Amino acid sequence: MTRGPSDSGPQGAAALRGSMDATTAPHRIPPQMPQYGEANHIFELMQNMLEQLLIHQPKDPIPFMIDHLQRDNDYVPKIVILGPPASGKTTIAMWLAKHLSTNLLSVESLIAKEYSPLAADARMHYQKFKMVPDMLLIRLMQERLKEEDCVRRGWILDGIPETREQALTIQTLGISPRHVIVLSAPDTILIERNLGKRIDPQTGEIYHTTFDWPPESEIQNRLMVPAGIFEGETARKLLEYHRNIVRILPSYPKILKVISADQPCVDVFYQALTYVQTSHRSNAPFTPRVLLCGPVGSGKSLQAALLAQKYGLINVCCGQLLKEAVADKSKYSDLIQPFFEKEIAVPDNIIMKVLKQRLDQQDCVERGWVLHGFPRDLDQAHLMDNLGYKPNRVFFLNVPFDSVIERLSLRRTDPITGERYHLMYKPPPTIEVQTRLLQNPKDSEEQIKLKMDLFYRNSAELEQFYGDAITLNGDQDPYTVFEYIESGIINRLPKKVP
Amino acid sequence: MEARSSRELQARNYLEKHRIMDLLTYLTSALLFFRPERPREYLISILERLRIARLSGVALPFFMDNSNIASMFEMLDSSNKGSISFVQYKEALKTLGLCTAEEVLKDDGHGVTFEKFRNEVPKKWTRHRRTTAVTAQ
Repeated sequence: MTRGPSDSGPQGAAALRGSMDATTAPHRIPPQMPQYGEANHIFELMQNMLEQLLIHQPKDPIPFMIDHLQRDNDYVPKIVILGPPASGKTTIAMWLAKHLSTNLLSVESLIAKEYSPLAADARMHYQKFKMVPDMLLIRLMQERLKEEDCVRRGWILDGIPETREQALTIQTLGISPRHVIVLSAPDTILIERNLGKRIDPQTGEIYHTTFDWPPESEIQNRLMVPAGIFEGETARKLLEYHRNIVRILPSYPKILKVISADQPCVDVFYQALTYVQTSHRSNAPFTPRVLLCGPVGSGKSLQAALLAQKYGLINVCCGQLLKEAVADKSKYSDLIQPFFEKEIAVPDNIIMKVLKQRLDQQDCVERGWVLHGFPRDLDQAHLMDNLGYKPNRVFFLNVPFDSVIERLSLRRTDPITGERYHLMYKPPPTIEVQTRLLQNPKDSEEQIKLKMDLFYRNSAELEQFYGDAITLNGDQDPYTVFEYIESGIINRLPKKVP
Repeated sequence: MEARSSRELQARNYLEKHRIMDLLTYLTSALLFFRPERPREYLISILERLRIARLSGVALPFFMDNSNIASMFEMLDSSNKGSISFVQYKEALKTLGLCTAEEVLKDDGHGVTFEKFRNEVPKKWTRHRRTTAVTAQ
């Protein structure tokens, strides 16, 4: 019997007390746990394992789980590509299969398989009736998907399922794709396009007389005209396709993407590629720890306030924090006060101490934080990183100099009411108020220029340090910028293409 | 739909029978607690140990140990009498998942002392694990 570590005692007891008395004792979970969970995608790992267990329901779960973990195939491609004839399905499927180095399965490739009694059966059927019965096709597919290379490297299905019955049977067998792409184009375009279809008999690749003509003359000479490309035939196939596709689409509600096939092949390919490389939103618990960087006047405080209001995050403004420390006459006020008086920047380690105190408080740990105004250069960033405060979303707000000047130099304050105005965005109501408005000396053009230069000197290093940062155009109205920030927080971080 | 609900029922029964959710909770807690560099390898090692333990009948590694039991008793016995009431004892066992509703425990009228608590809980734990090990196979 193994003994747990010696300090598991009080934590185990706390968990027990928590379960008995959930209302009084809040769980004090150390922040390293959620950070580790996020960094290693533990939630998705467990979710995938549970999915596989429920699909296969093995009699002996533990060896099954060991195998699953060793195979490590949670993120291999599992794609279905559907579309009308002449939409370029097969071309896209082939290109994707080559790019993602995965296996391509289509009706033709399944029935052409050697050493399989099922495939021989299917071939016979196809020769006689020009189609393969559903059950036979599904069983062929199941057999193929069980093979080692499909399990290890994933698969792309080209044109399967053809009907709703096939889609449902696939689902009950536990084969579920992660991405479904449907190509669509107007019928007239497709009929016309089909007339120009040519096939290279050696490689099986499909070319087109107008849109996709191979450059090499030897391939040109080999090309054959495939059967069934004339208008009547195409129209018939299209009719059948439309009848079926409408009933297949509801089976894949959340993972479907429709791409217009009425554009150049390369465009369709790139759209498809970006889509299959995005992972869907997961249900993993996520406490946002957001860092907003940008020059003065880029809207950081405003965005932080909006985020705090909507998501309950704690708005941590570094400058504000220091001023509060001085005003509260806390233990740091004596340290900070002389720097304020002489108008020099407060040294990094003092700022870090005040910041650490705030970020360690229970509400920050529990609800997440939005930090702005710190770090301003690489040293500060390293300092924060070493102490363990790693933000999981970093945003850089870019605003051109003229916009900053416009935003800041037109700020005015009314000395009598204390109300703040902006001569362009929030003008004062009466002439009387306007005459007595005063400007903060910090908002003068020279000061603004100084601060912006300071920021841009350090920003390149910061952008390099926070490799996963998202850059946004801050020169828009606040709610648009807010929407961009929101989508940056909620969606998974995009994987950097190497 | 009839078919759908029966599949769902089947899935739920599967989870119950093999106590999958408990196992996953245990694995996740172990991962978050020990925070190994390579989570998959660590999980594989835990599962291998469980598998061997199950085959050979050796007592399984579990999260709680004697210091936990002492802390638990201290919490239940808030006035430091040295013994807890029978109701408290039964509730504690239920929370730990060691006592099913059908099991009837004798109430000997004297309450449960620390000694008895310390002896009973590990015994019940091992017995509980053994029975689930047998049913899970």
